[in-house]
Amino acid sequence: MEQWLNDPMIQASLAPFTVALAVAALLFKLRLGGLAAIAGFCTTAYLAGGLALFPLTATRKLLLLGLMTPALGLLADFAFKATRRTEIILGAAYGLASVWVFWSILSQKSGIGALLQGGGIAVFVGWTVGFAASLREDAVRAGAAGLALGLGAGAAAVFAASALLGLYGMGLGAASGAVLLVQMVSGRRMHAGLTFALTFGALGALVAAAALVQANLGWTELAILALVPLAARIPVPEKWPVWGQSALISSYTLACAAAACIVAWLAGRGSPG
Amino acid sequence: MQQKLAIGAFALALPLAAAAAPVNYDVDPVHTFPQFMVGHFGAAFLHGRFNKTSGKLVLDREAKSGTIEITIDTASVDTGPHELLGRPRTRDDHLRTPDFFNVKEFPRMTYKGTAKWTGEWPTAVQGQLTLLGVTRPLNLEVVHFNCVPDPRTKGKGELCGGNANGLIKRSDFGMKFGIPAVGDDIRLLIQFEALRPL
Repeated sequence: MEQWLNDPMIQASLAPFTVALAVAALLFKLRLGGLAAIAGFCTTAYLAGGLALFPLTATRKLLLLGLMTPALGLLADFAFKATRRTEIILGAAYGLASVWVFWSILSQKSGIGALLQGGGIAVFVGWTVGFAASLREDAVRAGAAGLALGLGAGAAAVFAASALLGLYGMGLGAASGAVLLVQMVSGRRMHAGLTFALTFGALGALVAAAALVQANLGWTELAILALVPLAARIPVPEKWPVWGQSALISSYTLACAAAACIVAWLAGRGSPG
Repeated sequence: MQQKLAIGAFALALPLAAAAAPVNYDVDPVHTFPQFMVGHFGAAFLHGRFNKTSGKLVLDREAKSGTIEITIDTASVDTGPHELLGRPRTRDDHLRTPDFFNVKEFPRMTYKGTAKWTGEWPTAVQGQLTLLGVTRPLNLEVVHFNCVPDPRTKGKGELCGGNANGLIKRSDFGMKFGIPAVGDDIRLLIQFEALRPL
């Protein structure tokens, strides 16, 4: 069993998928199915590197922020009805939070270098979180975006040399895939809310940003990944069944993820260490 | 008379005092390489080394004491081969990420230790290794040590160097990725040379 759980493929796919599937199926009717994303992600994080938070490195700040996000989303879902302004505020807040996450690295750079990288990361994370939050009312679109953002950020991180960040991203993608699968099988849309949308948006964006700041991912790959939540908004035939809509939207979002991965692969091939 | 005797005794003692004083040596980055061995999939032990080091060695041979401080540039990790060989990135690229040495966040690791002597030369170092922001004790066994006139300075300078071995668990420093496929026990094999400036 231990040997099985030490297998990176299990850590990043089957384990988070199974846990997220169970959480989504169990909490579906309680409108808490969105917690599946963090449950799956935490499964991967625990198996791949543990959930220790000290000393508080950038990767651990990422985990900490990820752990706090569904709580914030849950609170927001129950406390008030989110609007367009909420999306903007959340995007700005997470953009600033991303600077905190990577501050220990940014502070070692020169003034202009830190400003450019920190500013770029903040814009990317803010953009992704804001548009992810805009998918909160449609769990099919949110699930498809989470699936692609997680898998895309994860696979691109692997091509950028970090397997750990890769596992984090793929774990998030597998968990979002479980959320999508529950809806495809049941034929009913679940409640995503900010609980799910914020979690996949923040974690997916932060994993991709970490792969840029701490590994070898490029800005082009980040820009392509930023299109994932937009691709999830492309209209689909409303009369189609849930599984058909899920498949079609996922094909849009996964195309963006695949494009980012191809660029990451090609970038690596061009610059041998 | 007594005053003259005191001055004479002081003058005689001066060279002895100078010989007993601690001597500073600068670590020679061209001949100092911290190397490591780590198990890979339970099969072979992979060797790697760090190519950039700096530091200082202080020796007091009369008092049989000494200290060493070494700073290692973690981005200089080198396990070869440097070609991609079908991979998207090299192993060293991977070692530089948060999976292992996290070099963007922790560009240096440091070792500070105090030498323990047996006979003429140090035979052990008791110290602290700081890696990934975590400081843990690390005791090194000095398997060889010697000081010789530096032939490159026609004997005016002095060259001290040796080899030291140690063992750490990387998980103690929070480096847990890939265990057990990539071993937790890291054997350290350090060759070092230090020069007394002219």
